Amino acid sequence: MAKKVTQANKLLIEQLKLQIGHISDAIETQGHSVFGTSNLMSTDEITDFSLEFLELMVVLLDSNNPLDHHLPAFNALRGFFGNMSKQILARGGRMEDFVRYIQFLQRCLIESLQEDKQLNIDDMRSILLLLSAVFNELTLSVFQTYLEEKENTITAQQEELRETSTPITEIWDGVLTLPIIGTLDSSRTMIVMEALLNRIAADRASAVVMDVTGVRSIDSQVSHHLIQMVRAVQLMGADAILTGIRPEIARALTSLNIDLGNVTTRASLSDGLKEAFRRLGVQVSNTKA
Amino acid sequence: MAISGIHLTPIGSGDFLLEPTRSLDIGNQGDLIEGVIHRMQRTKTQRLYYDLAELPVIDPVYYGWLNALARACQAVNVQMVCIHMQPTAAFALSHFITETPHFRTALDVARRGEN
Repeated sequence: MAKKVTQANKLLIEQLKLQIGHISDAIETQGHSVFGTSNLMSTDEITDFSLEFLELMVVLLDSNNPLDHHLPAFNALRGFFGNMSKQILARGGRMEDFVRYIQFLQRCLIESLQEDKQLNIDDMRSILLLLSAVFNELTLSVFQTYLEEKENTITAQQEELRETSTPITEIWDGVLTLPIIGTLDSSRTMIVMEALLNRIAADRASAVVMDVTGVRSIDSQVSHHLIQMVRAVQLMGADAILTGIRPEIARALTSLNIDLGNVTTRASLSDGLKEAFRRLGVQVSNTKA
Repeated sequence: MAISGIHLTPIGSGDFLLEPTRSLDIGNQGDLIEGVIHRMQRTKTQRLYYDLAELPVIDPVYYGWLNALARACQAVNVQMVCIHMQPTAAFALSHFITETPHFRTALDVARRGEN
């Protein structure tokens, strides 16, 4: 089998060298129609890509076993396609187009074999098997890159969401506000609490107004997290004021038998701020009145 | 008379600042509490500030010590206020306490109207 592969490699390299101009032209033309029209790649980049691809392909075929995925030549080719797919994705390209382009490259190499009339069926089969194995691996590595990029994007978006989900604002000297929107699960509570407690320590905040107007529903776990947050704020030595408890939340708290006896609550964020100011001895008055 | 593992400093207006050191052995709670209360009663202390600045985490055992000292202070009409609690300590503590602690908390000594 290894002998057949070596023989197939030689024949393929021979054809590649003989028809390098023709293959390169075909790859470039296809590259222009796929990437050039949508400005995903410049003309120079497409030319460089075609040349580099053919070079790397020849190096791979020249190796003892091109199907060995651990070969430096194979890794180089895989890395080359990986980088290119990253580039195309970053520029807004579609992965399907790139995969179709890879299939086209494979077809180009197979078509080049038509010119060699001396190839027998065995040689042809070996070459086809070799090409399909190599290109399948390349397609897989491109999809791997695609998935990694998507995962990176999702992680970055989650990080961004986490940051925007804890908009702690110092609304007055020593008064922090934290509007809580959405659901409070364990992981989010930990993030919010960590950010809030560090902020209290950094700003020497005396009062924290936590507004839950944006919390649509509450269960025993969420209410437990809320109380935990209030307790942690109080342990830091700051006053915690809970505002914006909607009627349905109040009803749920009652049915869940949650005791808010140790928690200062106010109807709205503005009431909460007034309470914080009162505790700080700050008086806000209307000078026009 | 010095109390092992504790620095007690009068800071004026009947207030004392308690700074625990690394050598504090809370396994010996009874003697520690007796020493602290004795010192406060001698100086007519009204408020005891317990500095937690050097404690990154408070576990249930240490919390038990703080509560025991706070209860002893209440018995002699001294208010115990824990100050400089680290965010990590507050975070850890909020996860396991279920009742209101016997001590009060404040950001620092200068702050008035603590919890």
